Amino acid sequence: MPTLPAEPTAAVAPPPFSRSRQAREAEDTLTHLVNDFADNPKSMDYFYDLFRRVFCQGESLEREGVLVGTTCIHAPEELIYALGATPVRLCNGSYHYDQIGAEFMPAKSCPLVKATLGLLQDSHAVPRVGKLDLIVNPTTCDQKLKSSALMTALGHTVHDLEVPRSKDTEHARVYWQRSVRDLTERLRQLTGRRLTPRNLRAAMARTSRAQAAFRVLHEHRRAAPSLVLGKDVFLVTNAFFFDDIDRWTAAVERLNAELAARAAAGFQAAQTRAPRILFTGSPPIFPNLKLPLLIEQSGGVVVADETCSANRMLYDMTAVDEWHLPDMVDSLADKYLKPCTCPTFTNNADRRRRLLDLARTFQVDGVVYQVFAGCQVYEMEQKSVADTLQQAGFPMLAIETDYSPDDLSQLTTRVEAFLESLKARKRHRPS
Amino acid sequence: MSYFAGLDIGSTAIKVALVDQDGRLVGVHVAATGSHFHRNAQEALQTLLARHGIAREQVRYLIATGYGRKLFKEADDSISEITANALGAHEVGKAYGGVRTIINIGGQDSKAILIDPHGNVANFAMNDKCAAGTGRFLDVTARNLGLDLDELGACHLSSQGTPLSINSTCTVFAESEIIGLLAHGHGKPEIVAGIHYSIARRTVRLAKRVGIEDRVFFDGGPALNQGLVAALQDELQHELVVPEFPQTTTAFGAAILARSEFLAEASLSSSAA
Repeated sequence: MPTLPAEPTAAVAPPPFSRSRQAREAEDTLTHLVNDFADNPKSMDYFYDLFRRVFCQGESLEREGVLVGTTCIHAPEELIYALGATPVRLCNGSYHYDQIGAEFMPAKSCPLVKATLGLLQDSHAVPRVGKLDLIVNPTTCDQKLKSSALMTALGHTVHDLEVPRSKDTEHARVYWQRSVRDLTERLRQLTGRRLTPRNLRAAMARTSRAQAAFRVLHEHRRAAPSLVLGKDVFLVTNAFFFDDIDRWTAAVERLNAELAARAAAGFQAAQTRAPRILFTGSPPIFPNLKLPLLIEQSGGVVVADETCSANRMLYDMTAVDEWHLPDMVDSLADKYLKPCTCPTFTNNADRRRRLLDLARTFQVDGVVYQVFAGCQVYEMEQKSVADTLQQAGFPMLAIETDYSPDDLSQLTTRVEAFLESLKARKRHRPS
Repeated sequence: MSYFAGLDIGSTAIKVALVDQDGRLVGVHVAATGSHFHRNAQEALQTLLARHGIAREQVRYLIATGYGRKLFKEADDSISEITANALGAHEVGKAYGGVRTIINIGGQDSKAILIDPHGNVANFAMNDKCAAGTGRFLDVTARNLGLDLDELGACHLSSQGTPLSINSTCTVFAESEIIGLLAHGHGKPEIVAGIHYSIARRTVRLAKRVGIEDRVFFDGGPALNQGLVAALQDELQHELVVPEFPQTTTAFGAAILARSEFLAEASLSSSAA
């Protein structure tokens, strides 16, 4: 019989978080994002520092009260705030968590869903959001829909927020309004608070101020030559996922003021002839900013986007007709359904219209369409979007990728060739 | 006399092309990339220059392209191989009445490029992530069959029977499939033809994504393989232009660009003076 060692072997002390794989991944993205570019706005330091603390040093987010995780932009944050809880968007962009998710999810599922589940599987995951009291999981794409059971199996409490598959009919609207009311009831039970016109109005004012700040930033991107780079804007909107909303808004307002001053001083963030790119498709989420970074490292500039980690999340505002509680909740519901250009809806005419509008009003030279391998809905919409854009004279580059860094050299060739072709077009059609 | 060079550093081979000040092709050279690609690239350039008795200083502008383009710091500039290929094919294609769709098979990737009548890239597609159906695939399968790469063409053309179907697109799995076919007593020529048709079908699918327009130009090292050319012609059902030096079209495109960039900079500095 083997003899047991007299003393248990000393356990290896876990390395500091900063040496972990996810910290290095975040550090790598941040280093490129900050150091590969000259003249970053001074007010971006708030965001660079925030990401460094949260993702590279593993600092916990300070949270009070009930914490509600959300997995899509369809979860009405105003309701969560109104009932005294704090929302945190869980959609994750880390290759580290993607690989953890792949251990128990189908290999062909999308990296965003895998990474989000990988994050939820680990109670010490980064960003350290704290203990989630509830996850609101909108039933959008099939993979998010089926994730609900997986999240439950991981020990989380999940509320399935039922989103209709079509947004065009009146019954879809009624169905969705019922879903939103059900969520209100669920949140009331969770927080023990009642929704009142007063607390809802206050919550709406908070998100409106944040959205207003985003809209100003969005308008700054219209300037030609560009005032701000897309990589910074994606970082700003990514921070909205988890940052304190009021602090976030104040930081964006400071950035806007700096950009206005830069505009007045005749500053430009990119070369005058740098191809202007509209970015659409699967959302760039830190640290997976691979494609937008690559575009800007190769001399292009992302001047606008149509993604659920930036523009689609923050642009459309609530329009209230009557300040009575049921009407307020209904108009809130409308905001999350009617203007939403998510490809999970049957019809994508709205999305194509919005892309054309952005392409025209932001003087775009070309469109880059990112599809995460395994994201069927974006893949399926690719052709109709490409046809619409091409008919209007906007070339589109479709890129299928995931969170792994191994396709970087192939992507570089493609992105550079696309930018070179846009420059050649410009030369032949001098402005 | 001034000269302009294009250096295409690919995964398998380094290609150099040299043009004179009128944009005429002076010469080309092909060398293996090897593991010391930087030294090999310099040697390839030196070899070509020595052959034509040209001094390094006479090369006024050099543009690098291909996977190693960023790593060759002696270059004046770099450009993606897609733009360079389009420029080169457009120029070479003039002798054939003009080309619009380019099919390029390289060592580790295959591309289809659609160009407009001015030689600008209108659309392009590349193989995703996997090197199935590329030069490397041919390399491995030739070795399996105990053939040299340059024997594949003749072997294909000698086949009497129906080309066998090779179903695996993965190089490694195709390898075992081929061993299985050999074990069943199938002849090498039918196997080789089968491989070529399988590559041709994949390549035609890629070309259809960008659009097939007259004329279709086929370049890259594997375009030297007459069997693959025949299979591609069959699958494409379209006239196929294969240039005299299919390996060096991209390097030639980079050299043409080197010349026009040099001339543009020269005219800028003379108008500024």
